[in-house]
Amino acid sequence: MKAELNWLDNPEVFRVNQLPAHSDHEYYESEDACQSKTSRWKQSLNGTWKFSYSENAASRPKDFYQKDFDSSHFGEIQVPGHIELAGYDQIHYINTMYPWEGHTFRRPLGSGMKGVHREEFSGAPYNPVGSYLCRFDLNEELKGRQVRIFFEGVEQAMYVWLNGAFIGYAEDSFTPSEFDITEHLVEKGNLLAVEVHKRSTSAYLEDQDFFRFFGIFRNVTLCARPDTHIEDLWVRPKYSVADSTGVLNLDINLSGILENRKLQILVKDKETACICQSLNASRHLHVSCPFPEKVKPWDHQNPYLYQLEIRIFDENNALVELVPWKFGFRKIEIQNKTILLNGKRLIINGVNRHEWSAQRGRNISLEEMLWDMECLKRNHINAVRTCHYPNQIPWYDLCDENGIYMMAETNLESHGSWQKMQDAEPSWNVPGSMKEWEAAVLDRAKTHFEVLKNHTSILFWSLGNESYAGNVLQKMNAYYKEQDPDRLVHYEGVFHNRDYEDVISDVESQMYAPPQRVEEYLLNSPKKPFILCEYMHSMGNSAGGLGTYMHLLDKYEMYQGGFIWDYIDQALFVTDEITGKQVLRYGGDFDDRPSDYEFSCNGIVFADRREKPAMQEVNYYYGLYS
Amino acid sequence: MDYTVDNTSKLRVIYGDVTLGLSGPDFHYIFSYQTGGPESLCIKGREWLYRTPRPTFWRALTDNDRGSGFHLKSGMWLSADLFMQCVEIQVSVDGQSIPLPKAPENNRYKNEEYAKQVGISFLYHTITVPSTTVKVIYTVESSGKILVTAQYMGQPGLPQLPVFGMRFLIPTLASGYCYEGLSKETYPDRKAGGKKGIYHVEGLPVTPYLVPQDCGMHMDTRWVEITRTSVLDRSQKIREPFSLKITASGQDFAFSCLPYTAEELENAFHMEELPPARRTVLCIYGAVRGVGGIDSWGSDVEEAYHISGEKDICFSFQIAF
Repeated sequence: MKAELNWLDNPEVFRVNQLPAHSDHEYYESEDACQSKTSRWKQSLNGTWKFSYSENAASRPKDFYQKDFDSSHFGEIQVPGHIELAGYDQIHYINTMYPWEGHTFRRPLGSGMKGVHREEFSGAPYNPVGSYLCRFDLNEELKGRQVRIFFEGVEQAMYVWLNGAFIGYAEDSFTPSEFDITEHLVEKGNLLAVEVHKRSTSAYLEDQDFFRFFGIFRNVTLCARPDTHIEDLWVRPKYSVADSTGVLNLDINLSGILENRKLQILVKDKETACICQSLNASRHLHVSCPFPEKVKPWDHQNPYLYQLEIRIFDENNALVELVPWKFGFRKIEIQNKTILLNGKRLIINGVNRHEWSAQRGRNISLEEMLWDMECLKRNHINAVRTCHYPNQIPWYDLCDENGIYMMAETNLESHGSWQKMQDAEPSWNVPGSMKEWEAAVLDRAKTHFEVLKNHTSILFWSLGNESYAGNVLQKMNAYYKEQDPDRLVHYEGVFHNRDYEDVISDVESQMYAPPQRVEEYLLNSPKKPFILCEYMHSMGNSAGGLGTYMHLLDKYEMYQGGFIWDYIDQALFVTDEITGKQVLRYGGDFDDRPSDYEFSCNGIVFADRREKPAMQEVNYYYGLYS
Repeated sequence: MDYTVDNTSKLRVIYGDVTLGLSGPDFHYIFSYQTGGPESLCIKGREWLYRTPRPTFWRALTDNDRGSGFHLKSGMWLSADLFMQCVEIQVSVDGQSIPLPKAPENNRYKNEEYAKQVGISFLYHTITVPSTTVKVIYTVESSGKILVTAQYMGQPGLPQLPVFGMRFLIPTLASGYCYEGLSKETYPDRKAGGKKGIYHVEGLPVTPYLVPQDCGMHMDTRWVEITRTSVLDRSQKIREPFSLKITASGQDFAFSCLPYTAEELENAFHMEELPPARRTVLCIYGAVRGVGGIDSWGSDVEEAYHISGEKDICFSFQIAF
């Protein structure tokens, strides 16, 4: 198969040769590997790669993936990282406007408008390309096995080659893209070539209010597969509130050798084994294990997790693969128009969180995640909305372990298509009800769900942010409900298009409604429980009047709290030209125009992770209502 | 001469041609008819004023102020904060009003004049449209204590105020301050989490909001004590800490103690554009507008936290050492 440049222009091409999305479980070759959480089957490709920047596709080094290509003129770049922060392209912050506002006139395919252009991205004079080259030898443990390459996040469109052969194409910047590269792999001197384009049609779907970066910004890993492998795992613990009993349902998909392979399923609570079951391997397995004793439920106060361990043994009883997973028993449901968690009214003392590092942009470290988690806990913040894209996977593990209620949001935001200077103006809206965009958007939902479905902390699937409402969002809602009837679906956009109110979102969600407007809804035959998916806009010196919102919790059972906008200021450290000091800069400080300037700084912590004074108020009220 | 009078427990009054001097064993104050307020508060040999204190009406806009267009409605308070005229001065000695003792009215006095208490008031006209007045009364006791009372006269047609208070420019940078009030930075609509107590703040921290804006407010304060170790007088070599204490008289006050004026904060896009910190700006407030938080693009601060320009505001505090 040949890579086609015009995939960039076609919303119906968004994944080529990618492996199907699957659960994010780790797998290990031995008990020791599992203990130390380091598998020798994994080989990180993070590091210094060769790199070339081009302003547009026409001027890119087209043959750079070929084995005999002379790359001696290439520069270098650190992977993972944003290309702009490596100094290759202009840093740009903009909120709702599409980033090409005032530079290029665009209308999306499917809109039927005069401005539709067939080569709007592949032929654009400005649509930068990053050409990456990485040479690697295969680690000993990966040799002779089936090997996949796993990109955890690449913005916004990527073509991959290995040793001159085309491997595949991917969009959806914030979910993993995985390709089987076994066929083209050699033991020594592999040449991996990745061509990343700043924008493709996916740009219409990724108009998040943040710095507009591109490049390989999350980990790149080679993953070798054992002879028999759990491809996908669905852990569905069912909790019965009435009698505190629990049933663990497992769906396991296996690949590789099945003959004479046995699975051992072990579940432990903090002290002892409570379930142990053995069965023969087959392609698909469904196991239902009722717990002999009452189970301990999971919630914010007591995030009790059980340890599941699935072991695959060969005919000699030697361990082939070990998959651990931690899960909790909890039940999220709506009764009498009120959201209940484990039978009790849910109160969301939440915050919206962008992934942000003042040094590295969205390429945040585990240390920063751990700091964030401690910050949430010490300030009684019990919920996080992953605004407006899936986060790095370890963050979901941390939320499971620390009892943080997650609103997991799909990578979708298209406010530039219908929100013009604060007015709702949907004369064209992506995805709206346009057929051309349906598959791409539904695929985002599918990948999001498949990868993260086992995380106990996820209580809500959120369809995205500020994308208006149409048939595509309706289908997305239906997809999540069908796949996962045990969780709730959230979407705010129907507020602007009430025609879809009955088919999108289990909750009434609004943003920045003044307290009186919340009351207005709740006093007028409300259909659904009410959540503020964004409130208390904490820009600069703000967060006054939080008490008025908190008191609504006392007055209205159906008001269930909200997510403060937002957790952390998005500003970047640079060296000041005048003083030589490290200083924080925001939109417009990079000659980037148009911009929304300091509007990216709405956190309750500063960009360098110091708490703002307003945190004292958040801590007080969230503590009072926890 | 009557040598039975103990003049040490009285204020010495120096009826100058242009100023009124008041002194005691540990202090020497000078109120100026020319600058329209106190020009010197010298305590134990150390000066506490860089310029004559003035009523203050402006706080550097917050992002929410900007977003809600507060400045478009209340912007005249910025110029009123910068420019004002003192139109009338009154002096009373031991409760008795006297004709303003400037030259030549002061020819009746001599070098040794004493009183138990001297009051001096300054009336300011604002340059707002319509205009209004603020009267600031300083009542000085023989102990050196000063009671400051600031009266804002509400005027129909005047827009909401960002703040109302008194601004003191102190000649050098304070090493820190101590206060009894609420923990951390608080505002009228963001103070429920503030814990009551006595707090020490090292230096004069400016909260590093990305765009410099009003910050460092402390609501519900009983007293604040500012400590310095340096003076501008180059003949003074000793660098020991010395302090000034402001105590509420009646209602608690709000204050901020920063190295910048509202206008200096207003003028910077980034923290690094603020001038080098060299002075202490102490503002004692009788009224503060809330910061709001519903959104940053239109919603106003909740009504309970507005400050009407049409209603009178009066508050007082005591300066002591």
